[in-house]
Amino acid sequence: MADKEATVYIVDMGTSMGEKSNARKESDLDWAMTYVWEKITSTIATDRKTAQLGVIGLRTDRTENELDSEDSFQNISVLQEISQLLLPGLKELRQKVKVSDTTDGDAISAIVIAIQMITKHCKKLKYKRKIVLVTDGRGSMDADDISQITEKIKSDEMELVVIGVDFDDPDYGFKEEDKDPEKAINEATLRALVEDCDGIFGTMQQAIEELGTPRLKTTRPVPSYKGQLTLGDPGQFDSALCIDVERYPRVMVRRPLAASQYVQRSDLSLGHFSTQSSATIMPDVDGAEPGSAQPDGSSLASVRNARTYQVIDEEAPGGKRDVSRDDLAKGYEYGRTAVHISESDLNVTKLETQPGLEIIGFIPWSTFERYMTMSVSCVVIAQKTNSKAIMALSSLIHALFELESYAVARLVTKADKGPLITLLAPSIEVDYECLLDVQLPYAEDVRSYKFPPLDRVITVSGKEIREHRNLPSDALSTAMSDYVDGMDLSDLGKDDEGNPAEYMNMNDTYSPVLHRIDQAVRWRAVHPTGPVPPPYDILTRYSNPPEELVAGAKKKLEKLIAAANVKKVPPKVQSRKRNRNEIKPLSGLDVGALLGNSKSKKIKITRENPIPDFKQALDTADSLEATRDAVRQLSTIIEGQIRDSFGDIAYGRAVEELGVMRSEMIDLEEPEAYNEFVRSLKGKLLGEELGGDRRDMWYEIRKNKLGLIEKKSSDESRVDEEEAKAFLSSRS
Amino acid sequence: MAEENKWKPPGEEEEEEEDEVDEAAYKSARDAVLFIIEISPSMLTAPPPTDAKKRDRDTPTLAALKCAYALMQQRIISNPNDMMGVLLYGTDETKFQEEAEARGGLAYPNCYLFTDLDIPAAGDVKALKDLVEDEEESEKLFVPSTEPVSMANVLFCANQIFTTKAPNFTSRRLFIVTDNDDPHAKDKALKSSAAVRAKDLYDLGVIIELFPISKPDHEFDRSRFYDDIIYNASPTDPEAPAPMSGVVAPSSTSDGISLLTSLLSSINSKAVAKRALFSSVPFEIGPGFKISVKGYIIFKRQEPKSSCYVWLDGEKPQIATGVTTQMADDTARTIEKVEIKKAYKFGGEQITFTPEEVSSLRHFGDPGIRIIGFKPLSMLPIWANIRPSTFIYPSEDDYVGSTRVFSALQQKLLKDQKIGIAWFVARKNATPVIAAVLPGAETLDENGAQIIPPGMWLTPLPFADDIRQNPETNLIRAPEGLIDRMREVVQQLQLPKAMYDPRKYPNPALQWHYRILQAMALEEDLPEKPEDKTIPRYKQIDKRAGPYVIDWGHELHKEHEEWRKDNETATSFPAKRSAPPGKDDIPDRSKKAKTATPDGGPTDAEMKHAYMKQEHKKMTVPQLKAWLQGKNMSVGGKKADLVERVEEFFEQRR
Repeated sequence: MADKEATVYIVDMGTSMGEKSNARKESDLDWAMTYVWEKITSTIATDRKTAQLGVIGLRTDRTENELDSEDSFQNISVLQEISQLLLPGLKELRQKVKVSDTTDGDAISAIVIAIQMITKHCKKLKYKRKIVLVTDGRGSMDADDISQITEKIKSDEMELVVIGVDFDDPDYGFKEEDKDPEKAINEATLRALVEDCDGIFGTMQQAIEELGTPRLKTTRPVPSYKGQLTLGDPGQFDSALCIDVERYPRVMVRRPLAASQYVQRSDLSLGHFSTQSSATIMPDVDGAEPGSAQPDGSSLASVRNARTYQVIDEEAPGGKRDVSRDDLAKGYEYGRTAVHISESDLNVTKLETQPGLEIIGFIPWSTFERYMTMSVSCVVIAQKTNSKAIMALSSLIHALFELESYAVARLVTKADKGPLITLLAPSIEVDYECLLDVQLPYAEDVRSYKFPPLDRVITVSGKEIREHRNLPSDALSTAMSDYVDGMDLSDLGKDDEGNPAEYMNMNDTYSPVLHRIDQAVRWRAVHPTGPVPPPYDILTRYSNPPEELVAGAKKKLEKLIAAANVKKVPPKVQSRKRNRNEIKPLSGLDVGALLGNSKSKKIKITRENPIPDFKQALDTADSLEATRDAVRQLSTIIEGQIRDSFGDIAYGRAVEELGVMRSEMIDLEEPEAYNEFVRSLKGKLLGEELGGDRRDMWYEIRKNKLGLIEKKSSDESRVDEEEAKAFLSSRS
Repeated sequence: MAEENKWKPPGEEEEEEEDEVDEAAYKSARDAVLFIIEISPSMLTAPPPTDAKKRDRDTPTLAALKCAYALMQQRIISNPNDMMGVLLYGTDETKFQEEAEARGGLAYPNCYLFTDLDIPAAGDVKALKDLVEDEEESEKLFVPSTEPVSMANVLFCANQIFTTKAPNFTSRRLFIVTDNDDPHAKDKALKSSAAVRAKDLYDLGVIIELFPISKPDHEFDRSRFYDDIIYNASPTDPEAPAPMSGVVAPSSTSDGISLLTSLLSSINSKAVAKRALFSSVPFEIGPGFKISVKGYIIFKRQEPKSSCYVWLDGEKPQIATGVTTQMADDTARTIEKVEIKKAYKFGGEQITFTPEEVSSLRHFGDPGIRIIGFKPLSMLPIWANIRPSTFIYPSEDDYVGSTRVFSALQQKLLKDQKIGIAWFVARKNATPVIAAVLPGAETLDENGAQIIPPGMWLTPLPFADDIRQNPETNLIRAPEGLIDRMREVVQQLQLPKAMYDPRKYPNPALQWHYRILQAMALEEDLPEKPEDKTIPRYKQIDKRAGPYVIDWGHELHKEHEEWRKDNETATSFPAKRSAPPGKDDIPDRSKKAKTATPDGGPTDAEMKHAYMKQEHKKMTVPQLKAWLQGKNMSVGGKKADLVERVEEFFEQRR
């Protein structure tokens, strides 16, 4: 568990903060609050009761603090006592932070109040104590008793952070021109204070810039296995090797914040809601109906999933009937057979296993294919308090490393968990040694898909060819080789000392969606209206090759493009007629001729074989009328099948036939022929004209997206997207 | 209640499990396989005995049925939603679907539908098993008809089975097993009508796979009949198998390897319908230079299907299907999907966005694989992995010439041991990932059959957010002498062929699960001992490496003693965690060694002592947890639960 935290933010709200300095478009206060809101919302986002914060307004119009009777503590207001801040509190706070009409108020005094708040709140308990002062340094300050403050801050282990608007920072490289002399003195005073307290002193510009670098969350390592690493069976053989080890995650995917589902509360009027559909949900402030006010003030109700169970019962209407969950027993499916297993036997299908990490054998690095890894990775270290085990594991790590080998092991993390096969790889760093572990596939985990070779072409007769349009020419291979070498990332980046290093190291890449959603939620919490700003630059930086690299490899790329001679396939080239003519069995036999397809003969579409008949009828159709006739024939069959269907038994066939008709009409550019039919079919289905209640069939059509052919799919269509959508969703 | 969680309706995890979504779409693409096996005098004749000591001299028919039986069992595990059927033709008896029979149709004479096309039921498995294992059973059925069978009729029969039983399946395949390469040698009309019926099947989207069997005195010749029946991968069907799958070497009844083995291997290679995970995604090798590729899932953890609810009050047990309705929590009113809004919890309340905003937040560009640059393979650490890699292979669909460019890149990367680094968006609004593009060479088995196809692999890499810090520990580097001893151990125990071959290791838990289910479903006796190939070969390890391990053990003891002398006083453990000296002296090779528990938890002796005096209840939660963890027992729950677990432990020991 993370430590308890208590942070007090002191925000300077004096008149001068209302100015727009240094050609910025927003006031200094708004600018500075960008930083403060980010920090505060990050804390709220943790959803931790122990991450608490308070806010003090400096140079406020009013005076509200514990020492407000004393002169030196005037114009300082506690806006928020130290506590876990929630969304309503944040909204209140937003109302309170605004530029005042005063220039009075002493920043040092505000720090004293902050110290007092923290001391009172935290008592002697274990807390991470922190004070953050944000100011433009343009108020008057009395620095007389500053040494006392320093002492208190240091003895209570508080961290003092001062971020100044347009403060000079030679390290960062910022200097304000024509600085007000009083501000310069204040800056110096604050800097000295911070340095004495070992705190952080910085300029706002840098602080805001750094907000663009996402913060990484550290997670306390939790072992996923504690036990022995063995070679051989210690129960049977004295020669077995055992080392006490612990296994911790090395890579674990952090998921973006998950959205939950809500619906509008039905007891609130629609009008009230719609004005803020995209904003945070405000409490019903005017309280018009106190009786119906929700305790959490939200106008959203969460969505609950209710699950009911059905079994097939031919006598029930619709062929199915509901059964109560209580009447159901647990079981498994074996094919389509239900295998019932009584509650007491539920573990019978579980393989009994004992926990352990057992080495099966060793393999050289060279025979292992890197793409075989199946999972996130872990580290295996020796038991932390066991020096002998640490030494023992070290010898294994080094032996594997020297032999350039991996161990393959069987891992059972807990009793009766399924065994996993893992690869154990040695990892030796300057100050750290461990085995890295990543899971390997089982026989069932590998699908046997065959693909033709890429370095040769094998013809139907079994001959191997090395020159073919699918194989690269020497020119192409050379151009590719030059290009790949030209796009090398291995020393394009810079390490901490500025030496060339790997570009796009994984430690520099941040999960785009994770941080984007995080950013947006926090932004929206503070700014209920208005668009979300664009993503941080770092989230998209690695979506394109670095410009300097591209520029350097430009010539090579041009050569490669020329040698490759790749042609984009125009979208409309796949004319139906052309493709259909190419369809022949391996022998090249003209089956069409066997069918006796003379142009005059009309093919009758049979109910037994509708799809092939329909396709073949279209092949021979030489007129629009013939095409339409084929559609009519198939339409009649589809309607007939639905009408005669017992329950939903024939729906699958009807759906397939509709699908074929739809795609063929798109290919033939006759969308209207299909649209006409599906319109009439919808009417008949919903009008119960095809043997009673056929709403389920209409549902199938919607589900399979077999609605009207729209313009997007066929240029000939007169149906726009809107109409197509309405057709599928409307019930008339 | 872990079991209950499985019943969480999928919708709730939608956002989180976003990666799995495409897998779900993938599964909805279903496959139906219909075996059609010829029954004829030659198909019922066992091959002549050969010199090779092969015990199984199955008739071609029996071998084919054994393959079907094996495939059925395998598909229940690997493709539980896919269908399978078995049709025998050339039989004296005739049987078709019951409904059709009721209508009085004997439309397909000499066709015997042994297993109707469906998801196999336990009964189907049993019937097939009996047919394969019980000679009496098979003798009744294996009677060849005296009349010649019309192939057109057989194919139309298959057509009807697919049409009625497997509408809308993305993949429908007909596996023909026969040794007769020219069924209508003398009747041209019948031959033509068979070709016509084959065209029907093609138009229906059914793919015919031929498994030809050569007779001892006659090589199977496809050109006589089957080349008119079988179509090459269709130019319009994007999911069609690559051309090479059209070629299956005829299985022979006379050569060294048994017919069953060779037939099984050719059928296995077609067992799974090839389905693309994504089609024709642009692969941008450089700015403005694109080719098209398709993605396939080749590695995927196969899990047992989760438990379900069974209704027992009917005539026979029935699986109850769950239907989820969503309702508003306040009024229990059923709600429509369009009403649902997405909101994020923040500071105790919800922050909402419009649907357009939500999708724009997730949008980081159009689908595609964009190369950012290249790195040496050595810069890709082994731990940089989050899930199985996706296989990519070129496609000429959108860019003509994709294959040669892809091939040039793959060969260059293979040759120089390099990898590409790519920005990868798999679908519209899919979460972008940074992936390593690894070249993969084709690997073949001893018979020259492909095991791993040639192509490239997209390995998604972790972001900085996903990389955990190493746990703190102390470094004690092993002395050279000790490493030397360990090297000798490692050298003794290489895996066969010095490689990890997944095919050698079936998942024991998965196999056991289905083995038990099968026994229960077929009402057989439960097997007693599972076969587990992952268990190390202890005897061999002892024999080969035993003496070296013992040497290493002595060396370790010696070196550690020396190390202790030098470091006696130095607390070399991370602060707060130092254990009292002397406690860490644990012998390394006996099961009894586990006396001390890590992290300052009580030792077994201490705990036992406390338990005897009933003082274990006074221990702190961290102490109890540390001890339980050392026993690999659960550390969840309240203190009372922990105490109870400690008690259970000692009670069982008594």
